[in-house]
Amino acid sequence: MTRLPLLLVALAVTLPAQRVDVQEFALDNGMRFLLLPQEGDPNVAAGWVSKFGSVNERPGVTGVAHLFEHMMFKGTHKIGSKDIGRDLQIIEELDALRGQIQAERATLLEKQRRGLIEDADDPEARSPEHGALLKRFEALIEEQRELIVKDEFSRIYTTNGGSGMNAGTSNDYTIYFINVPANKLELWFWMEADRLLNPVFRQFYSERDVVKEERRLRVDSTPTGKLDEQFESMFWQSSPYSWPVIGWPSDLNAITRDEAMEFFERYYSPNNLVAALVGDFDVDRVKELAERYFGRLERGSEPPQGVRTREVPQQAEQRLTGHAETRPAALVRFHTVPDAHVDEPPLIVLSSLLNGRTGRLYKSLVLEQRVAVQARAGVDGRKYDGSFQISGVAAPGSAPEDVERALLAELRVLADEPVGARELQKVKNQQLAGDFRKLRSKFGLMVQLLVYEALGDWRNINVFSDRIQAVTADDIQRVARKYFDATNRTVAHYHTQEGAGPPPGGPGQRPRGGQ
Amino acid sequence: MNRRQWLQAVAAGAVSTVAGAQEGIPDHPEDLAYPALSYDPPDPARFRHELDSGAVAYLVEDRQLPLVTLSLTLRAGTYQVSGESAGLAGFAASQMRAGGTASRTAQEFDEEAAFLATQIGCGAGATSMDASVDCLASNLDGSLEMLFDMLKNPAFDPERLEIARARALQGLARRNDRLEGIRSREFRRLTYGDHFTTVQSTKASIESITPDEMRRFHAERLDPRGMHIAVAGDFDTNDMVGRLNAALSGGWPANPLAPGEIPAPTHDPEPGVYMVDKSSRDVNQSHVTLGHLGISRSHPDKFKVQIMNSVLGGGGFTSRIMVRVRSDEGLAYSAYSRFAPGTYYRGTFSAGFQSRNATCAQAAAIVIEEIERMQNDKVSTLELDTAKNYQVEIFPRFFATAGQIAGTFAQDEFTGREKDYWKTYRERVGDVSADDVLDAAQRHLRPEELVVLAVGDKQAMLAGNPDRPEYSFERLAGDRGIGEIPLPDPVTMEYPES
Repeated sequence: MTRLPLLLVALAVTLPAQRVDVQEFALDNGMRFLLLPQEGDPNVAAGWVSKFGSVNERPGVTGVAHLFEHMMFKGTHKIGSKDIGRDLQIIEELDALRGQIQAERATLLEKQRRGLIEDADDPEARSPEHGALLKRFEALIEEQRELIVKDEFSRIYTTNGGSGMNAGTSNDYTIYFINVPANKLELWFWMEADRLLNPVFRQFYSERDVVKEERRLRVDSTPTGKLDEQFESMFWQSSPYSWPVIGWPSDLNAITRDEAMEFFERYYSPNNLVAALVGDFDVDRVKELAERYFGRLERGSEPPQGVRTREVPQQAEQRLTGHAETRPAALVRFHTVPDAHVDEPPLIVLSSLLNGRTGRLYKSLVLEQRVAVQARAGVDGRKYDGSFQISGVAAPGSAPEDVERALLAELRVLADEPVGARELQKVKNQQLAGDFRKLRSKFGLMVQLLVYEALGDWRNINVFSDRIQAVTADDIQRVARKYFDATNRTVAHYHTQEGAGPPPGGPGQRPRGGQ
Repeated sequence: MNRRQWLQAVAAGAVSTVAGAQEGIPDHPEDLAYPALSYDPPDPARFRHELDSGAVAYLVEDRQLPLVTLSLTLRAGTYQVSGESAGLAGFAASQMRAGGTASRTAQEFDEEAAFLATQIGCGAGATSMDASVDCLASNLDGSLEMLFDMLKNPAFDPERLEIARARALQGLARRNDRLEGIRSREFRRLTYGDHFTTVQSTKASIESITPDEMRRFHAERLDPRGMHIAVAGDFDTNDMVGRLNAALSGGWPANPLAPGEIPAPTHDPEPGVYMVDKSSRDVNQSHVTLGHLGISRSHPDKFKVQIMNSVLGGGGFTSRIMVRVRSDEGLAYSAYSRFAPGTYYRGTFSAGFQSRNATCAQAAAIVIEEIERMQNDKVSTLELDTAKNYQVEIFPRFFATAGQIAGTFAQDEFTGREKDYWKTYRERVGDVSADDVLDAAQRHLRPEELVVLAVGDKQAMLAGNPDRPEYSFERLAGDRGIGEIPLPDPVTMEYPES
């Protein structure tokens, strides 16, 4: 330790954090733009965000924000069809048929429930009308397939060198992004404005199947996917954060095109959108292009600011015990504060004290007690609420109970004893270096600006560093005492279960959910 | 760096006449006019420095942020380790980082790096070892000193080794948990057979690793003469050359071995349909890969194959496999094909997806149809242009940052890439014709050699989709039948007799 020159302790004050110098402007329709021209390679990282996500859904249509995001790549009146008139007709007809097919299927499911048939999916069990409807549906899909210019939206970007095109839906926002060659920036304006003006949700039903596969991939077929989902759902009692972004399976089977359209009309008017551009461009020209292309969007009604149903204070500790093909582990989560709350910086610094090779969890749980092989802490500050989670994977010979006990003991130390000056300075130094590192990628910076903005205000990117550097040992002790309370926590224990089969502890018939 | 000229006149002409909102907006993006963009890739010679030891460094200054990254690659990897010691290369590298040095205990080393906010890493893969540092420019002295202390004087603290060993042993036991892990492991075994890339560590091999074994690996493999170094960020080139020369001049192992040839695979894969039965409760999805041996990256057809594969399944949403399996049929979230060109020997061709158990056979049949269509029909001009334009247009993205420039050139030289590769890249992409694509498909796609590997709920996959009885794995397998690959004991990696 004595090896270190003394002046290093002052590292934090010798290097002023870099300010992100964004130029901002708004169109008459309320759409806002964050511009950060930067020298370097001939490329622009471009994206926009709708400040709404799965938290704005309601039961029955969970997953619609994400499904809608998928539909935004299916084309427009001008992109994706050889005959838009017939295309739109077919879409209407498909919707009507789908309603009738659903009704037939509901009858079969009811018969299956009553034991009158074995399998609702057996083609033999269908009524002749049902069969005819399915045939008609297939025929229309075939006809539409002939009209569709396949994945034209993607092809146009691809052939012009757009790269990394994608989108993401979170609880709080939905973000669409791409890299475009600097000389082709106008293409971005054309494409993004067009899909906001006239989106066409063609291939809706096959895309819904794609999302179901995505759900199977991300949730069902990973060892702890479904347990993690249940833990999340159990942690949030009344908040809409309790349902998964990708949606419950029952809802994915039932969401209609009209419901996706409704979500669009409500949450995608320009007054709810913010775009960000980072890279090689001319600000005046971008303003002109923004006016010309996005200026055509009509301001919509203001959607309700803030969700109505909020989390109720937790009254008792909650626990989940699950079995999966995974290493034994314990997770402990506490309700804390939303993003940008004054208590968030101390909680972030507190989590940094616990994390990393020199963090308290590694030193105590892994090196000294040998109760865990890895452990970490994390802060999840969302728009309306937040949480703090601490978790560890049990070492051979240890159980989740042992890990939980050791994790909670570390939190108690943080509440009982002030952190030392050098340890605090260490994590502040790391945070400061991290502030520079996060500016290295233009694409990453574009995404960060949109996320900060979606959660509150992009300017928080510039004050974040100062807030972290201002955290004191007292602050840390204060938040540790305030939030790490037994009635405020939800605990999960994962036990190892080898291979397939029912979980131990009783033959209880597992209730069957959706499909 | 990366000088380029905008032809501003064209841009001005295209936009200055606009008045109303709708005017100046073409009906279709194909009618947009763009200013030309001329771009020359950076010249490696400008950044290349031969160091006194014979090592090579690419140094790319970029003063925008007060950060420096350095990565150092050398020839040390699993190919130099026998099966009984499988895991040794990875352990030696990670324990160089974790186990302290002659003058710093493991904990002191970690604390010092953490306080400097310097990230130091060391890892070994199949054919190389990579060490890296990422630090604030103001801490460059201390950070580099620590990096080279780690590389020259590792202490291999036995206590840290035991902690890593316990974690590794626990990890071994979980190797059959994930479909994706099983799929990639078994596909590699089916295509490469008995080869160093298919050797798996076991309880016995992990337990055989000792500090002395790691010390021997270090003494034999850490040769400062063969290092390729990439440095990017806020530093002065001349100053950095001096630092590197000093660091590489003394204190290294005295008698390193010659690195040795990297063995090519010799296996002759057995075509057919293979299944691994891995059914878990309530999981209605299986993972499928179809593939065979491919080409090495120096193959003269490389660019033709690349464009061909881009049309087939490598071009994301615009490629045929994605369009048919995902967009048209909704059978999978991800569906792709990939020609992974081998750096030192033949790579593999593979196509894959994850789908509902009942629809796996259908999706596999579609993939095979598309492979055969590539061989039978010429690609359309639209498809060809999309694939080629994309490669040409994204070219500047390969050199977007100082770190990419330094890293790419250092890796190119380390792996022996052709000198004119980047210089002629766009030209060679541009030269690919529809006939070339057809030719590449006929030569390099071989449906009769396909290994089809399905991992998941075997019974449900075989049952198939009652609405599409025409698709089945039995039909795909034909007379050969379906081969069953049992799950090995994850700890010993012994496969039960099936």
